[in-house]
Amino acid sequence: MITQEQYRTRVKELLSSGTVKMVIGYKPGSTPDRRRPLFIRTAEEANRLVLDSACITNLSGYLVTEGLLSDEKKVAIFLRPEGIRSINILAAESQLNADQIIILGFDSTGSVVKTLDGTHAGDFSELLGSIKQNSPVKPSEVLFEQVEQMTPAERFAFWQEEFSRCIKCYACRQACPMCYCRRCIVDSNQPQWVNTSSHTLGNFEWNIVRAFHLAGRCVECGNCGRACPVNIPLRLINRRMAQEVIEAFDHFPGLNQTQEPVLASFKKDDSETFIL
Amino acid sequence: MSEPFEPKIVAFVCTYCTYAGADLAGTSRLKYAPNVRTIRLPCTGRISPMFILKALQKGADGVLVSGCHPGDCHFTHGNYHARRRWMVFRSLLDFIGIPPERVKYSWISAAEGVKFAELINSVTEDIRKLGPFDQYKELIEETEAEATH
Ligand code: SF4
Ligand code: SF4
Repeated sequence: MITQEQYRTRVKELLSSGTVKMVIGYKPGSTPDRRRPLFIRTAEEANRLVLDSACITNLSGYLVTEGLLSDEKKVAIFLRPEGIRSINILAAESQLNADQIIILGFDSTGSVVKTLDGTHAGDFSELLGSIKQNSPVKPSEVLFEQVEQMTPAERFAFWQEEFSRCIKCYACRQACPMCYCRRCIVDSNQPQWVNTSSHTLGNFEWNIVRAFHLAGRCVECGNCGRACPVNIPLRLINRRMAQEVIEAFDHFPGLNQTQEPVLASFKKDDSETFIL
Repeated sequence: MSEPFEPKIVAFVCTYCTYAGADLAGTSRLKYAPNVRTIRLPCTGRISPMFILKALQKGADGVLVSGCHPGDCHFTHGNYHARRRWMVFRSLLDFIGIPPERVKYSWISAAEGVKFAELINSVTEDIRKLGPFDQYKELIEETEAEATH
């Protein structure tokens, strides 16, 4: 509650001084444990903001809404560390100018919310660096370990069962801050890369493509999995990809704004043990 | 006994090295397994993982991707980019349960006609041992059955 009051005051200052034109935060949702995004332009509205441990959505995707930042005015936004990483990636991929983004950083353990010191994405590099250090030893969930232990045939059966439920609603894509392409490969129909009907074969294709396009860019914010109406554990695939890029290329996405995208760069001595 | 299983393999190759290597194998009259359908592309950098998936979805039992050796790329570094992508793509396939052994990668230069012929033989043998890609074949059948309703 203290943090919430602190931030409401900060937001009032930012808006009344004209430092930012908009603040993106959270408001109560349809159930007590859900939060919705809130977009405010005046100081009076600051009291509508909610900040607690239920604020889990990574809001950074709203920043790349067409035209939002084109007037070069600033926008303030509530972000957890994953969200700050998204800002770094979006800046590194030339999707936004990080100087225009005022970060209201926070994190939570249990129900306790704490503030993160810093204003611009660059101010959080130490924090992000320490998260990178801990990422290989990050305790993984039981289900992830189980899937890893399965035989390939069992893994196929597991995903076949999961993907068979996919309805190709693309909510996972819509919810992802990194899925900003104006024309997604699934919308390209000359040729039609991804079949539009949701049969299991095509669902494999879609889910593999989604994961691949996010490999080395995903910050594991969990937006996609939470958006999925049929609860496909997309986080497991994201975890595997995050693990792969850090193990193979020491790449932790979103560390800073000058980081080269891992799959758009290379080293001459990258591993190639699998190449005949 | 029934006929031995003849796998269908799709090879995506770059025009400057591996395709030229395949040509050399041909003009040198080297004999190799007829199981491979070759698709020529400008560069390994142009070979999207999507192509590999499509081949499997259309009934291939195995896929081969091949291009210039590191340092030899006609576009200087298309193959370096491709190599990184393959690395990640392999682990993704593995995690999903699609055996990564069904997708092979190689570097073959324009001078390596013999390597090309030998590789095709060994890849064909490997895929033959793995057998038909039944898991996908079943899904293909299911999809086609749905489409005719
Ligand atoms: S893929 Fe999912 S977890 Fe990763 S950045 Fe996108 S929404 Fe977040
Ligand atoms: S949100 Fe779930 S059901 Fe919708 S397309 Fe993504 S994986 Fe499929």
